[in-house]
Amino acid sequence: MLVRDVVCRFADKTALDGVDLAIAPGEIRALLGPNGAGKTTLIRVLSGLVKPQQGTVFTCGRVGLVPSGDRSFYLRISGLENLIFFARLNGLKLRQARSRAQELLEAVGLAEVVNRPVGRCSHGMQKRLAVARALLGDPQVLLVDEATHDLDPEAARRIRELVRGIADQGTAVLWTTQRVEEVPSFADSVTLLLQGVVVFAGSPAELVARAPTDRYLIQVCTRDASGPPQLAAVQLVAGPGTTITPTNDVGYFVLASRNPRGVGLAVARLVNGGFDVISCRQADSEMEEAFLALTGAAA
Amino acid sequence: MSVISEAPKLAAFVRRDFRIAMSYRMGALGGLIAILTQIVAFSLLGKLVDPARMPLFDGTRATYVEFVVIGICLNLTVLMVLHELARAVRTEQLTGTLESLLVTPTRIGTVQVGSTLFNLLYIPIQLFLFLAVIAVVFGLDLHTAGILPATVLMLEFLPFVWGLGLIAAGAVLTFRRGTGAIGAGVALVGLGSGAFFPLSVLPAWLAHIAAYNPLAIVLSGVRDALIGGAGWQALATPMLELLPLAVASVSAGMFLFRFFLRRERRLGTLGLY
Repeated sequence: MLVRDVVCRFADKTALDGVDLAIAPGEIRALLGPNGAGKTTLIRVLSGLVKPQQGTVFTCGRVGLVPSGDRSFYLRISGLENLIFFARLNGLKLRQARSRAQELLEAVGLAEVVNRPVGRCSHGMQKRLAVARALLGDPQVLLVDEATHDLDPEAARRIRELVRGIADQGTAVLWTTQRVEEVPSFADSVTLLLQGVVVFAGSPAELVARAPTDRYLIQVCTRDASGPPQLAAVQLVAGPGTTITPTNDVGYFVLASRNPRGVGLAVARLVNGGFDVISCRQADSEMEEAFLALTGAAA
Repeated sequence: MSVISEAPKLAAFVRRDFRIAMSYRMGALGGLIAILTQIVAFSLLGKLVDPARMPLFDGTRATYVEFVVIGICLNLTVLMVLHELARAVRTEQLTGTLESLLVTPTRIGTVQVGSTLFNLLYIPIQLFLFLAVIAVVFGLDLHTAGILPATVLMLEFLPFVWGLGLIAAGAVLTFRRGTGAIGAGVALVGLGSGAFFPLSVLPAWLAHIAAYNPLAIVLSGVRDALIGGAGWQALATPMLELLPLAVASVSAGMFLFRFFLRRERRLGTLGLY
């Protein structure tokens, strides 16, 4: 899939402003961006639902879409009947449609609820059903719009595994998400949109490298049991170059340092300065930090 | 996407809508009760009408029940076709499935026809049932020789209604809420068509305008055929009058529906409701 200089305006709002994008077969590209950045508009342009004012979109083969909305099925009829219907709109004969629908329902782990009306399926099941529908036409390009948005961790993991398996068979995947933490272990590449403009395109590692600070959550206590540790005392002992921020919990502080060795030094100083460091772990994901820094929302 | 490859997709729509209809069993029963209630109401009204005031059709004086049954059938057809076309788009918008349909390799015309087909096939069944019950209960004296010419005239009328339906569907696509306007439009057309009473009871100026109403032309032709026994020759004039209207209506409907669809795609508001 190749997208060149796509511009899309709605009334006085520019939703996409010169967007370039390329996804190779087998690649999962995460599309990140805050609300209103233009992610869904881009997906709709790529699926042909919105016509851009400018630019070219080239897709090699059929496109499958997993829409973001909750309601994209006929709720009164079963998942199987829904898939048979959409399969026939993809040009399959009734018998082929039934067989393909059953095959995909099994692939997405819904074999046991084939005859259940979609309205009585859980949200996670409906999302998996949407993935199955997107695969009915054997797409070479799969567009997935916030598929894990409001799923529990287990359901989200199942969807990611499913999409990873599809990509491994050579399908190019564009995966929009607000869950930045799922990107490093899942996506091969990342595009970050901000107000319709691509502000970053590269690998997840390259995006993480944009994270401005290392932030750690430390738990400390005073060695002489003289009371809860005070912010000023902790900051004084940790020394310059390290920022200490209190949390709502007594004894817990967020420690941030631009210096790669800053965390170790600060912990050593705290131990030498009369504090016990009970625990120390990374506070926010680096991906989230990078996201916030690039979208200007860190403050 | 050739016409041949699109045809089986229509069957998929019918199957889908049949399944959905089966999940609302009480809905079908309600429709039948509504029709039966109308029959009873109009038969009682018929007792108030002086038979001498009823018009002649090809030399035969109609009873009020014969007169109004044909009016109700045609008016119901117009209402259902117009309503169905607009409803189909609106329902897909509301269920959130419109975009899912449009990303499949299916022509918009197929989506349009397919989404209405099940209910449109259901219309003749309802009308047949309606006529059958009336015929048995009130002993209708309709000319069987007029059935074929009347059917052809009605079939010629359908493209005209279809064109209006496309315009209504396009308007609903853009303005979201248009079914109220459709109801009002059908009521006005029905009022000026002679569906429920002879046009002669209207004020002279309105009766003059109403004579050009396509529904009035069809109603008059169908009544001539079924009540008066008029044949092909007598119906040639209304058939010729309807032809250009049907062509103009379908052309305008297709143009405007595509115009509204392109507009929604450009604005990115296709799935909004």
